[in-house]
Amino acid sequence: MNLETLSLIIVLAPLVGAIAAGLLPLSRTAAHRTTISGVFIAFVLSAFVFYQVTILGHAPFADGAYTHTLYQWLSTGGLSFEIGFMVDTLTTTMMVTVTFVSWMVHIYTIGYMKDDEHNWSDDSLGGRNSYQRFFSYISLFTFSMLMLVMSNNFLQLFFGWEAVGLVSYLLIGFWFQRETAVYANMKAFLVNRVGDFGFLLGIAGVLMYFGTLDYQTVFSALANTPDEYTTKTIEIFSGTEWSVITVICILLFIGAMGKSAQVPLHVWLPDSMEGPTPISALIHAATMVTAGIFMVSRMSPLYELSLTASSFILVIGAITALFMGFLGLIQHDIKRVVAYSTLSQLGYMTVALGASAYGAAMFHLMTHAFFKALLFLAAGSVIIAMHHKQDMREMGGLKKYLPITYWTSLIGSLALIGFPGFAGFFSKDAIIHAVHVASDGGQAGATFAYYAVLAGVFITALYSFRMFFLVFHGKEHMDEHTREHLHEPSWVVTYPLIALAIPSVIIGAIALAPMLYGNYFEGAIVMAEGRNAFPAADFHGVLSFVLHGLMLPPVYLAAAGVGLAYFLYGRESAIPGQIKSAFSWLHKLLEEKYFADRFNEIFFAGGSLKLGSFLWRIGDRNIIDGFMVNGSARSVGWFSEKLRYVQSGLLSQYAFAMILGLLFFLVWFVHG
Amino acid sequence: MTAALNHLHLFVPEIFVASMICIILLVDAYVPKAINALTHQLSQATVIGAALLTLLNQPTETTLLLHNTFVSDSLSVTLKMAMYVLMFGVFVYSRSYLQQRGLLKGEYYVLALCALLGMMVLASAAHFLSLYMGLELMALSIYALVALNRDSAQSSEAAMKYFILGALASGLLLYGISMIYGATGTLELKAVSDVIAEGKAESKLLLLGITFIMVGLAFKLGVVPFHMWVPDIYQGSPTAITLLIASVPKIAGFAMLMRLLVDGMSGLHSTWGDMLIILAVLSMALGNIVAIAQTNIKRMLAYSTISHMGFLSLGMLVGTNEGYAAALFYTLVYALMSLGGFGMIILLSRSGFEAENIEDFKGLNKRSPWYAFMMLILMLSMAGVPPMLGFWAKLAVISQIVNAHMYVLAVMAVLFSVIGMYYYLRIIKYMYFDAPAENSPEIEANTDMRWTLSLNALAVLGLGLFPHTLLQLCQNSL
Amino acid sequence: MTSLVFYIFATILIFAAIRVVTVKNPVHASLFLVLAFFTSAGIWLLLEAEFLAITLVLVYVGAVMVLFLFVIMMLDIDHKTLREGFGRYFAIGSFVAVVVLLELYMVFKAKGSDLATTTAKAMAEDVPNTVALGKVLYTDYLYPFELAAMLLLVAMVAAITLTMRPRRSNKYQEPSKQVEVKASDRLKVLKMPAEKAE
Repeated sequence: MNLETLSLIIVLAPLVGAIAAGLLPLSRTAAHRTTISGVFIAFVLSAFVFYQVTILGHAPFADGAYTHTLYQWLSTGGLSFEIGFMVDTLTTTMMVTVTFVSWMVHIYTIGYMKDDEHNWSDDSLGGRNSYQRFFSYISLFTFSMLMLVMSNNFLQLFFGWEAVGLVSYLLIGFWFQRETAVYANMKAFLVNRVGDFGFLLGIAGVLMYFGTLDYQTVFSALANTPDEYTTKTIEIFSGTEWSVITVICILLFIGAMGKSAQVPLHVWLPDSMEGPTPISALIHAATMVTAGIFMVSRMSPLYELSLTASSFILVIGAITALFMGFLGLIQHDIKRVVAYSTLSQLGYMTVALGASAYGAAMFHLMTHAFFKALLFLAAGSVIIAMHHKQDMREMGGLKKYLPITYWTSLIGSLALIGFPGFAGFFSKDAIIHAVHVASDGGQAGATFAYYAVLAGVFITALYSFRMFFLVFHGKEHMDEHTREHLHEPSWVVTYPLIALAIPSVIIGAIALAPMLYGNYFEGAIVMAEGRNAFPAADFHGVLSFVLHGLMLPPVYLAAAGVGLAYFLYGRESAIPGQIKSAFSWLHKLLEEKYFADRFNEIFFAGGSLKLGSFLWRIGDRNIIDGFMVNGSARSVGWFSEKLRYVQSGLLSQYAFAMILGLLFFLVWFVHG
Repeated sequence: MTAALNHLHLFVPEIFVASMICIILLVDAYVPKAINALTHQLSQATVIGAALLTLLNQPTETTLLLHNTFVSDSLSVTLKMAMYVLMFGVFVYSRSYLQQRGLLKGEYYVLALCALLGMMVLASAAHFLSLYMGLELMALSIYALVALNRDSAQSSEAAMKYFILGALASGLLLYGISMIYGATGTLELKAVSDVIAEGKAESKLLLLGITFIMVGLAFKLGVVPFHMWVPDIYQGSPTAITLLIASVPKIAGFAMLMRLLVDGMSGLHSTWGDMLIILAVLSMALGNIVAIAQTNIKRMLAYSTISHMGFLSLGMLVGTNEGYAAALFYTLVYALMSLGGFGMIILLSRSGFEAENIEDFKGLNKRSPWYAFMMLILMLSMAGVPPMLGFWAKLAVISQIVNAHMYVLAVMAVLFSVIGMYYYLRIIKYMYFDAPAENSPEIEANTDMRWTLSLNALAVLGLGLFPHTLLQLCQNSL
Repeated sequence: MTSLVFYIFATILIFAAIRVVTVKNPVHASLFLVLAFFTSAGIWLLLEAEFLAITLVLVYVGAVMVLFLFVIMMLDIDHKTLREGFGRYFAIGSFVAVVVLLELYMVFKAKGSDLATTTAKAMAEDVPNTVALGKVLYTDYLYPFELAAMLLLVAMVAAITLTMRPRRSNKYQEPSKQVEVKASDRLKVLKMPAEKAE
């Protein structure tokens, strides 16, 4: 079987599963078997494609091509909209990551959603088959994500982009009987719309200046005649000239800001924790939120031509990385802590993009996918054990009840904070190094970003271990009933934890050499002259990288963070309360998430509501409804009533009308 | 003589259909109680067989045979295949309707197949005479079908009107043809086209001829002001016959346009193009506006047909191959939607009750969500809402108009489409937002009808999601 | 000489055609139509189309018009209603007719004298008219000719479909039905309470 067919099967297998579980009257077992097999097939084939393309270095499609157009959907006015695949090292990395995490999450879901009917009121229609529906959604998500990463054109990218957005909306609001869930999914959807608007404009820009939506055509145009595009400017406001590339890059990045939850479009991600935990792991940690990172990496030939856009990205990422970390410090909901850590880590990846270290960003994306999925699933495991209680103040001392969860969480946390040798260590150090290089190179905003990501390391360690100590150590705060039933959940929950813990430890060391220093992404990612922070000559083996890292500040900052966390939450548990009262204004600021939500509510939501009601009163009700719509409807209706009398039913009049028509034609055309 | 028999395999489908007509006549007369099964199955077999024969005997290039009276090219193959598909649907939908009303006679099938034969002749016409004979073969069969329910005064009146007006139109058409003959000295379409291209023909005479021919064509298409018969005949005929009139002959109408105007008189494009502009604008305006005032759904769909035929003319008048392809696409799409729409009316009616009023669709969603959804697809498609097939058809035509820089026409087309949305959406509103009338019974239909109708509507949706295949087919046919 | 005959025939033809639509009595109208057929047959004879001329007389006059006359006589038509609206539409109708005529006149005037150049090829001299027609019909025009046959078939089927009704006056027995009949179809046994003697 050739890789064209394989690629198609990879994409369609989850879709088939989703359709079967969603539309056919399957039993619960049948539903999860179908979907899991679908995703499993996708994973195995992805691994095979990965082996072929990335390890062996074969070009996937005929004639050594990396892109393949499967079907021309439509062609109009010289434009053709196609469905096709671009499979290179970047794609295969994403494919394997996405399908593997998704597969794990599918299995885990069996345990997590076992008692889902308790989450619904008895008379609710939504409660019926909610189990099957959930499986259908997550498989559909896998399909959408694969469409997104495997696309070879902007249209399909946009399709995948919107489809993951849609599924995310469905899943956040999965328990749609809860008002908070409905609010959260609406919020996620609306915030993403803002990003998508920019994204769509960016695509329109590409279409306008390149005349095509095909990646390959755009990239080769950029490679062959870069000057033609970098010198082009566009006048957005009168009197201001903008470089077209910069405008397109920033517009596309606005889309990425929405999906990858960068400040200020980050507000939806913490709220999205209203959804069931498996999807928090799958969508809001490992895959969908990385779509923005992936997209920017994919567009590296474009971004490399605009340093302005890169700096913009760098600053946004740095702000996200640091300030979202602070928010993680004061959360009580176990999932929200992980959510804020996700935001902060996404900030790191974005910083790497801004520093042109696309390889490092993808590297961190991959390691993060494993350990963040692990942390989420571990949090989910705790939640299951605690009978769906999520407040960390009611936990404590869970170590002895949940040993597997405890150890896997520890691994995940260590990977997250960058403990030497663990996956996160390599990727995070690489990012910090890249920013350092960019800062030395004099890129605007890079110095700020450097200090921000350094401080972020400390914060990360602090909130990660705060959570760890609060949950697993210290006094047991849960009630008697819960304590009695505390036990490790079934194997479907613990196995994925173990399966994810292994790559969380080792993947960094394995992938370090090829992804950062090697030519792993050659052909897939483009870097401008002098922007490569990881020349192959600098690499002297994994061990020396670790040793070198031990001498750099991040390790000590992380250690300090862990130490402080131990001191505050493991030993002197009274101190946090005192700090809280001493810096109540600061606590308030963090509690209100820098007033971002409040600001959005008052300014954007309230403002647009006012504007809307004004336009509605004046524009809609009076001009459009009153005059144009109703007016024209009335006149059309009037005409209609009059004209129907022409149809008299009399044969002679019909014939006469024909003759008159003939006469008219004769006079007009023969003698006209 | 042998030269006349060359390539005769291309003519096999017509021979097959004609032979089957005779066989069915005999079977119907001599095999007792053949009505229920045998005649129906034989007719379906005829359609399927003709489709297979057409597919097997495709021309490699445009081939003229039978002394240049018959042409076989990719266009004729496409058109005929579309006719078979539609005819198959018509037979499936009509059966139980006619049976319940005691109209399911063998003659129905014979006449319908004769009409099909006439349309096939039209699709392959290379000569004014064969074109005219095909037209009459189709028309005469349909006149008789309209009057099939001979005890109904309404049907008889409709048939009478149709017959007389049709005869008038045929007369005008013939008169036009005689003028063209006078001007060019030939009746072969290809030769006529050559003479016109050489500029040998007297132009006034040609203009006179094309004007009369255009009137005859316009009548057959049912465009304003030659549309008067459409609403009366649509409403007056038994719904199963309306279904037939509203679907397959539209393909034949397009075939006539192509053969007469493009094959025969492309040299006069400037004239007939202008005529089509007038016809198109009037049709879209009148059709869409008057449809709003209708309460009878068959009548409403009749006016909708008028507007759609106007739209189709827009594609023709551009005068390029892309334009003709767009018009062909539009025709195929419209015929498919129309088939489904009338199929729904038949589905809702039962013995002693015609679901003729728009109000009969009230609350259909409560009674049968699936068919309400099917109707939703069809109505949205007719209104031209993406991603339904109808949207792409409209888009194809409008983009051709825009390419030809006829912006005013394009704006008008869009404007009238918007007006037209009103009455399609009204049906959706009735189906989904109104309560069903009391004691509305369950929908009863045969399995084959249910499946075919669902398939029909889903095709409108499915092809709408992947419009390129059909569009490509249309482009390749020209 | 020929043109004199032609003009005589043509005048009679036009006169007869006008009378067809203007006379009050439909029987007279159809007789005028017969006259019109005869004179046009005469004109065709002048054009050496003797076969067609004879066919016209035989078919239209001999068959169609006779049938017409029968129909008219059998359908007792009310002459008054038939002529209603004639006056009303006369003015506008004649206006349209005049305009159409004018149009045609102008076209043919512009055409001028070269009408003859594009006329069809002349009839072969050595073959009789009928033979020539037959030859063409079965060779060049075979296809339309066959189609005409189909057309006649359709006309036949249509006519029978629309008019023939199974005669109910025929009285005959259907043994199968007689055998199938059950007592309950014919006989209804009612249960009645027995009257009690008081």
